[in-house]
Amino acid sequence: MTDPQPDAVSRFLDDLATRGHDPLLHGATGTMRLELIDGGDTQRWTITVDKGDLRVSQRNTRPDAVMTMQRSLFEGMVKGRVNATAALLRGVLVVEGDLGLVTAFARLLPGPPRSVTTFLQRQKELADR
Amino acid sequence: MSEGLVKILDGNIFVVSADNGDIEASLTDPTGLFAFDTRFLSRWVLTVDGKQLNALSTDDLQYFEARFFLVPGTGTVYVDADLSVIRQRSVSHGFHEQLTIVNHRREPVTLAVRMEVGSDFADLFEVKDALKKKGKYSYRIEDDCLVLEYRRETFWRETWIGADKPATIDDKGLTFDVTINPQSRWSAHLRVVAGHPALPMHPKKAMREGVGMTTRATRAMAMAHNLETWLANAPTLTCDSDSLRATYHRSLVDLAALRFEAPILPRHALPAAGLPWFMTMFGRDSIFTSLQALPFAPDLAATTLRALGARQGTRLDDFRDEDPGRILHETRYGELTAFEERPHSPYYGTADATPLYVVLLDEYERWTGDTKLVRDLEFEARAALAWIDEYADLQGNGYVSYKRRNEKTGLENQCWKDSWDSISFHDGTLPGFPRATCELQGYAYDAKLRGARLARKVWRDEGLADRLEKEAADLKRRFNRDFWVEDGGYFAVALDEQGRRVDSLTSNNGHLLWSGIVDKSKARSVATHLLGKHLFSGWGVRTLAEGEGRFNPIGYHVGTVWPFDNSFIAWGLRRYGFKEEAAQIAEGILAAAEFFAGRLPEAFGGYPRAMTKYPVQYPTACSPQAWSTGAPLLLLRTMLGLEPMDDHLVVDPALPSSIGRIELLDIPGRWGRVDAFGRGRVDTARAARRSTSRG
Repeated sequence: MTDPQPDAVSRFLDDLATRGHDPLLHGATGTMRLELIDGGDTQRWTITVDKGDLRVSQRNTRPDAVMTMQRSLFEGMVKGRVNATAALLRGVLVVEGDLGLVTAFARLLPGPPRSVTTFLQRQKELADR
Repeated sequence: MSEGLVKILDGNIFVVSADNGDIEASLTDPTGLFAFDTRFLSRWVLTVDGKQLNALSTDDLQYFEARFFLVPGTGTVYVDADLSVIRQRSVSHGFHEQLTIVNHRREPVTLAVRMEVGSDFADLFEVKDALKKKGKYSYRIEDDCLVLEYRRETFWRETWIGADKPATIDDKGLTFDVTINPQSRWSAHLRVVAGHPALPMHPKKAMREGVGMTTRATRAMAMAHNLETWLANAPTLTCDSDSLRATYHRSLVDLAALRFEAPILPRHALPAAGLPWFMTMFGRDSIFTSLQALPFAPDLAATTLRALGARQGTRLDDFRDEDPGRILHETRYGELTAFEERPHSPYYGTADATPLYVVLLDEYERWTGDTKLVRDLEFEARAALAWIDEYADLQGNGYVSYKRRNEKTGLENQCWKDSWDSISFHDGTLPGFPRATCELQGYAYDAKLRGARLARKVWRDEGLADRLEKEAADLKRRFNRDFWVEDGGYFAVALDEQGRRVDSLTSNNGHLLWSGIVDKSKARSVATHLLGKHLFSGWGVRTLAEGEGRFNPIGYHVGTVWPFDNSFIAWGLRRYGFKEEAAQIAEGILAAAEFFAGRLPEAFGGYPRAMTKYPVQYPTACSPQAWSTGAPLLLLRTMLGLEPMDDHLVVDPALPSSIGRIELLDIPGRWGRVDAFGRGRVDTARAARRSTSRG
């Protein structure tokens, strides 16, 4: 038997763990804990950023910021369907600690899939002209 | 906003009340306690024995503090009051109110003192547009506080109200049973705290820390606000003109009041855009204000660059009109933004903030020599420069243009003149989209040249510098060919979707001078138009010239005079050597400021100065408005001809004779602190006669 296909959340976090450096976070340094609630279960990751250098672990270090939400909500974020800022204002994403760090992390989330299509269409129209 | 309202503020928290301190707001009226774009109190009414009080006097002690002296009575028949009531209020996480009642009688008095409270938790957009709420209201009593609640699904906002004296609490207020001895006083300290999920401190904790420490808290707060330090750090102005001195002081104090800490960058201040509608981070407004304030308070620019950089666009998002590298237009924290009924989380629909970001970064370095910030923001600046070519050229014709992708709640006009009818042909017809407005090309040109300078000097990237300079030269050449209205002798306000010149005469020509994109051979003609009778009202340059199809002297962007616009036009005129013309604009705007007690509004009417004798305020203008507050500062710079040159500050004054003598002392910059002096020699009245006879 093979493992089931990893879901979007796992893929996103795996990708983050192997990314090494992301220039979008070059201005950010600190430790974030991501807490995803899944039924009665809470999964935790520790994401450390040092001027864009990323590390993901499940170690329990003292964080500068904690983000807590339903796993399904985070899945929406990594698929570009949920906007993190709006989620924070709605109270479905709860942040304790350094909001600047969380805002920096949110830069790694993709935009809505539809937007990319619109953009590619526009590029194509321009190319066709 | 109507007269007689008392406004106190601290960044994005502000209280607007009647002159007796009471708040009785209707949905559409901007009174109340506002924080993070939400009204947390719409009712705050003090009664003594069931009666409201009358104001004897009101003092704005500081921009964050006011005091109300009140007496009971109807105010119709004068009776010697035997009670005095004093309310002293200051803004912090909400507000504090110290309530004092003095018994002037020779016998004790027993009173029912009640504060009626209520909140509609309206989103500021709902107040502006009179919209209905979708959630549920409730209340609870916790920790001896009345907690007003609003909930919609997981969305919550709370207002906590408490006091340091025992009170009977019900759902609509707090009642104190008070006995005061003869010639004695009773005092209570009330605390109102706004509860919001993006605030770092839970309202319960803020409440516990706040109640019962009024004098200490107030003093600590006054220190935190540091108005004295702020004023002491700014250059000192001595001058012959009392009016200019007052305007300068007012500008510095208002700028201090509009300082705002974005939740993502605590302990650093950047300018919010304006009271009451725009107390938040705006890309364009924060950048323009920081540019105006550079010679006076350069730290604002540093924070603006950091905060806007931290929220620079990273992805494509049609709803928010976001692209990678794009600088945001507007951030909001209210309910409509939370539920994505509005796109301000943040909204990116502006075509000018991104090139202006690079302009500010370079101008900041030229003044301060802070190359560290330029290195820290290299990634952001490069992304902004890349946006100009990769995402802003919607038509593939080499010009920056805009067309919203969010067609429901996005902005149609993504330039500073953002109202629906601001861009029009001479005959009044509105062009289609995308629109390439002229000033956007100027900003893009300037951004490329300034980006090249930073690339060469700080990032050590000769290749990028060469490429940007080549692109800028090419843009300038094409622009002077494609936008020039030959028979008018000025630049068209835009190219429409078919590349046709949108041929109305507008103030945008002044921004073109500021950017440097105008060919030297065309500059004289442009300057003559700016000071000519169709554009120049005598107070300033109108947004749209008299004689154009849509001209209206009290139309928002189609005929009014904007002080901010004029300050950049004056800068542009100086850039091309038109010192006297720049002085003429400074004279007009600063004379107008005198009629507004030194606080220039967002805009005023474009009637001829000779006709009205005083500037007519635009009906719903915001005040104070950050970039209007910054206008006198930039005009001081242009009058004195201040220009950083390597490690020196060049001073080349050209002052209106009506201003007299000016000394601006301790101007901060890479040179340490230097002084600038000037004496008025430009006869603006004569110059005005000369230019209006042309025009």
